[in-house]
Amino acid sequence: MSKKVSPQEVLEALKHVEDPALHRDIVSLGYVKDIEVGFERVAVVIQLKTTSSPGQSELAQRVRKAVEALGVPNVEVEIATPAPAAAAPAPRGQSNLIPQVKNTIAVASGKGGVGKSTVAANLAVALHRQGAKVGLMDTDVYGPSVPSLMGAKHEPTVVEGKLEPPVEWGIKIMSMAYFLPQDDAVIWRGPMLHKTIQQFLGDVRWGELDYLVMDLPPGTGDIQLSLSQTIPLTGAVIVSTPQDLALAVAWKAIAMFKKLNIPILGIVENMSYYVCPHCGERDDIFGHGGAREAAARLGYPFLGEIPLDPAIRVQSDGGRPVALDENSSLAHRYEAVAKALVDQVGLANEQVPQIITE
Amino acid sequence: MAVVPKTVKVHGEGNTLSIEWSDSHRSAYPYQYLRGRCPCATCGGSSPSPEPGQLPMLGVKPLQPDRAELVGRYALQIFWNDGHSTGIYTFDYLRELCPCADCEAARDKIP
Repeated sequence: MSKKVSPQEVLEALKHVEDPALHRDIVSLGYVKDIEVGFERVAVVIQLKTTSSPGQSELAQRVRKAVEALGVPNVEVEIATPAPAAAAPAPRGQSNLIPQVKNTIAVASGKGGVGKSTVAANLAVALHRQGAKVGLMDTDVYGPSVPSLMGAKHEPTVVEGKLEPPVEWGIKIMSMAYFLPQDDAVIWRGPMLHKTIQQFLGDVRWGELDYLVMDLPPGTGDIQLSLSQTIPLTGAVIVSTPQDLALAVAWKAIAMFKKLNIPILGIVENMSYYVCPHCGERDDIFGHGGAREAAARLGYPFLGEIPLDPAIRVQSDGGRPVALDENSSLAHRYEAVAKALVDQVGLANEQVPQIITE
Repeated sequence: MAVVPKTVKVHGEGNTLSIEWSDSHRSAYPYQYLRGRCPCATCGGSSPSPEPGQLPMLGVKPLQPDRAELVGRYALQIFWNDGHSTGIYTFDYLRELCPCADCEAARDKIP
């Protein structure tokens, strides 16, 4: 067969090719950069928007099959990825409060005690290690724990009437813990919380950031609402343990974000299983795979599972997040979660309304 | 994911705020129409602002928005040139308000 296909036919065929990670067709995602048609030969260039995609080779395979189905014997597929610095997806719905912050990610759960803050801190570290500029904001004013997770060797200072956030492990941090004597408590009603959130956003010199990770308190209350209404959040990461009780409450958090039109970037299963340090046997203390199943059932991305490992507790209490240790398997887990997250951020940014004033 | 705006043109053609939605539907809201349906507490959804010609005041600028801002990811806040800005138009509300002929017809069907 020597019929020459047209670039339009190729493009039409590619409209039926789905990105394996994002489950959307690659044409509407804007991945198809170039189609070159020659005699019995078609070359396609696919431009990815993130530095890595878990399904990259699978994607190339799908593109090849789709074009071969048109009767083209020689198909060349090239997958191009952007340089790491450009990887943080370009923002569209910026907030006037933090104009230089490209992406804002809320780490939430319905239930308390599932490890939100630990996950948030390690995700921030993993994103930073991939070359991004990252900030970590502790919005849990009642039980601030980010500074102790991150070491808290420095204090915020005031520069030009604004707060200069301390930097730990390369990450800019802000938390209520810096402003309270250790054993004192915040006993506030809603409006005070709202004001604090606004100040943590607008009165802190975050500077230019690729990602601002926000550790939320548990529940669906004042702080979650204030945050969701003050800035156009890029999306939310839901942390849950595998057992039914935690998952049931996590869905309440998801329901809140859905109501506010905030994309769910994915679900992380924390305390997924326990590996006994003595015998090496694996024990599913809270059951296992519950979050993965629930995510699949409801159509949300599953970002990964983090085991219950005493090292996480020890390192967190010592102020040195496990994601810092290049060679540990825990760091690799967080790295994988961060990569999956970056992909989802790219997709979520496609959906931010663009406002044109001229 | 619910239907959300893809682009919002604050100064669209023919004195309208125009929205292209994620399902490719297009809406064009005349300014007076939009202001008349301001959902804020003081306006209360009624139409307090005068229709053009009703109150011929001297030196009144024609009503139009200066700008609009996203409220979280669920609504639009419109800043009008007369200083009014307390109306927060949720995307769902805006979609319900779409004045195009198709949407108008669909609304009439609902008893």
